Amino acid sequence: MYDVSRRQLMRAGLGFAGVSLIGGGANPARAEDQTLALYNGQHRPPVEALVAAFTAATGIAVVTRNGNSAQLASQLIEEGANSPADVFWSEESPSLAAIDEKGLLAPLEAETLKQIPATYAARTGTWIGAGARCRVVVYNKAMIELSALPKSVLDFAGEAWDGKVAFAPNSGAFQQQVVAVSLMKGRDAALAWLKGLRKYGEVYNSDSAAVEAVEGGDIAVALSNNYYWYALAKELGPDNMNSALYHMGNQDPGTLITVSGAGVLKSSKKSEAAQRFVAFMVSEAGQQAIVDAIAEYPLRPGVVSPFPMKPFDELDPAPVTPADLGDAADALALLREADLA
Amino acid sequence: MTRASGDPDGPSRRGAGGHPVSRLLLVLALIPTALIALPIVYVLLRSWGAGWEGILAELGRRRTLMLLGNTVTLCLSVTFASCLIGFAAAWCTERSDLAGRRIWRVLCCLPLAMPAFVASFAWKSLGPTFQGMPGAILILTMESFPLIFLPVAAALRSMDPGMEEVSRSLGKGPWRTFLRVTLPRTIPALGGGALLVAAHMLSEFGALALLRVQTFTTAIFQQYELQFDNASAAVLSALLMLLCLPVAFGEMWLRRGVRFSKVGRNTARRIAPARLGRAAPFVTLGFIAVAILALGVPFGRLLYWLLKGVSAGRGLEAIGPALYGSLSLALPGTLVTTVIALPLVLLVLRSRGMFARFADRLPYIVHGLPGLVVALALVYLSIRLLPSVYQTRVVLFAAYAILFLPLAQSAIRASAELVPREIEEVARTLGRSPFRAFVSVTLPSLAPGLGAALALVALELMRELTATLILAPTGVVTLATEVWSHTNDSAYAAAAPFAALLVLISGIPVYIFTLRTLKVAPDRALSQATP
Repeated sequence: MYDVSRRQLMRAGLGFAGVSLIGGGANPARAEDQTLALYNGQHRPPVEALVAAFTAATGIAVVTRNGNSAQLASQLIEEGANSPADVFWSEESPSLAAIDEKGLLAPLEAETLKQIPATYAARTGTWIGAGARCRVVVYNKAMIELSALPKSVLDFAGEAWDGKVAFAPNSGAFQQQVVAVSLMKGRDAALAWLKGLRKYGEVYNSDSAAVEAVEGGDIAVALSNNYYWYALAKELGPDNMNSALYHMGNQDPGTLITVSGAGVLKSSKKSEAAQRFVAFMVSEAGQQAIVDAIAEYPLRPGVVSPFPMKPFDELDPAPVTPADLGDAADALALLREADLA
Repeated sequence: MTRASGDPDGPSRRGAGGHPVSRLLLVLALIPTALIALPIVYVLLRSWGAGWEGILAELGRRRTLMLLGNTVTLCLSVTFASCLIGFAAAWCTERSDLAGRRIWRVLCCLPLAMPAFVASFAWKSLGPTFQGMPGAILILTMESFPLIFLPVAAALRSMDPGMEEVSRSLGKGPWRTFLRVTLPRTIPALGGGALLVAAHMLSEFGALALLRVQTFTTAIFQQYELQFDNASAAVLSALLMLLCLPVAFGEMWLRRGVRFSKVGRNTARRIAPARLGRAAPFVTLGFIAVAILALGVPFGRLLYWLLKGVSAGRGLEAIGPALYGSLSLALPGTLVTTVIALPLVLLVLRSRGMFARFADRLPYIVHGLPGLVVALALVYLSIRLLPSVYQTRVVLFAAYAILFLPLAQSAIRASAELVPREIEEVARTLGRSPFRAFVSVTLPSLAPGLGAALALVALELMRELTATLILAPTGVVTLATEVWSHTNDSAYAAAAPFAALLVLISGIPVYIFTLRTLKVAPDRALSQATP
């Protein structure tokens, strides 16, 4: 009796597996012809907001594949001409530059490129910024005085800051900062800076982990993108924050403007709809949807962010544009030489 | 009756009983072997792309040495500590008169339901003390010891008590009986569990990233995040596979010549439990400490985030799709993995040949690879060779099977080693076909092992992250991927319901299959045996 029921159980299980295998084989993204496939490496709130607005405005559905920008870029390179992706929205421009270098991106429409200042798009016209953010220093108010913070991000690589500075060599934004230092101060200065940070700083896995460590009192200072602090402030309540932002200004690489952005895949079979998506991204409605959801600066003149950020024209950032920052290969070479990667 | 069959070097297509191994079994065992070969080929091809100079330069770096040191330290420490705790807990709940054994048994399995990255976040939020290597060893041991506890407890339970009784009746003390009789017969289960823990440690990523411990896996992820030509990451992956070799062959050495089987089913009578006496309060305290470390802290923290935090309730509309996504990927994936593992285990038990031994070890070598590497290998190969299955469940299930075969193998083997081949041979001499003999005689005896295999694989698949992110059909989300993306955006309260549901769902198979594996019911027999 027991044996029989057990055997039946086994048969039922195998049957279920078979049905699941056959039934699960269909791919929803391919069945629906009008649906755009968006590979998304950017944080989800702004992307979800934009997709909702785009679908409401055009009736075109978008299926999102979420991941890490660099991983998705690796995946797009592996997929090559067979990629099912139509649009790639990256958290950082180097991932876009990398797939552009492999010839995977199609040129954007001239009308789209005209919508925002040319500084925030690829020189080749294959990708365009969706929002700008800046590198900042996050500091714990109880652990350090604002006046004790240095004038340049390069100063953090010294003994005076031993064990006090968190940084994330993995983060694309940090790599961009390395490239900026290298472009502005020379390669040797960049290498010396990295070696100093390795010696005296603390390696974190991501900018957001570093910011949380500062907020939690584990460490005094973190090099980060501005919006991680705002995300945490939204989570904990702005009045409860133990940490604050410090903008260096002075055209120092400590204040560096970078962009998240998007491009259309050359292999896309729905390139018209994909071009429409990117055009919508830089339209007034699109820009508003994005900056309402994340503390990034709008790139389209006239759009206003609801976050209490330092005004964009008061940042006095490093004189380096996102297009100058390239595909991070130089940063990687430097990080490897400094034994950080 | 117990039998140890030696002769590991018998002819390849012959079982020890003289019957040739069926061709069907060989063919079926080729499927997992071919699957497992895919990532190995990919890693070697990619490493080759770096060129000899590149490979040597990578190996000679000071950083590579540092990563090697960290990886080995973590792997050995967590495996050793898990073996100690897992074995002690299994012995106390199966062989002693500890109060509340039934509850401790369940509590010792529940940490399986807590994904390591969730537990690590909880600990990390208590302060920086728990970051770094010592913290990682503590947290990962608390997460891993059930992988030792479960198979050892099952082995202790299903072991024929006759030998122990004979030993005791011959005047050997409890310690000598334990060392000479009980311990050796749990070695296959202990070894299999230790292997899984070791391989897990080699491939662990999320927890280590949170706890800021750099190993080969985090370095491989970093390479993928830093650059888009993966040769250097491939060289590190190849090194990681080399590290898995001693793990795989260590197990072979461990099980050399050890094969125990009992004849007849349901012979596992109860043995009188050992009295803990004065040690009892300390043992209980130990269990309480482990429960707090492994369960109390992570669950407490999860509850904190559920109740606190402004992002609470954000993205809740995704909870239905995420739950469906988790179940619709994990359940069939589990069955596929377990079914594929079965012929591999049977082949190894019936044939001591080269191919069998090779096929048996191969999955363990890949088990130490991060999901990312396996996923990218499948992207690379499927998009070139079989573009029509790319981003369908087929490829994802293949990845799951590649990643988690050893889990199924090890669990099934624990049961299979106790099933004597003779009974199937008896059935065949009585006129049953090989298939019917297998279904009616061997398969039911394997049920506890299959149950454990299904449980362990289902748990791993529920929490699997990187391969799912890369290979799942676009638009399919799971509880684990939702937790991951919300924590990525610092929205812990938003992540909490998904994490809680993930733990809850994982708790169901842990509970059901633990009871099934251990057949907990006959506690009455135990209490009757105690005067």
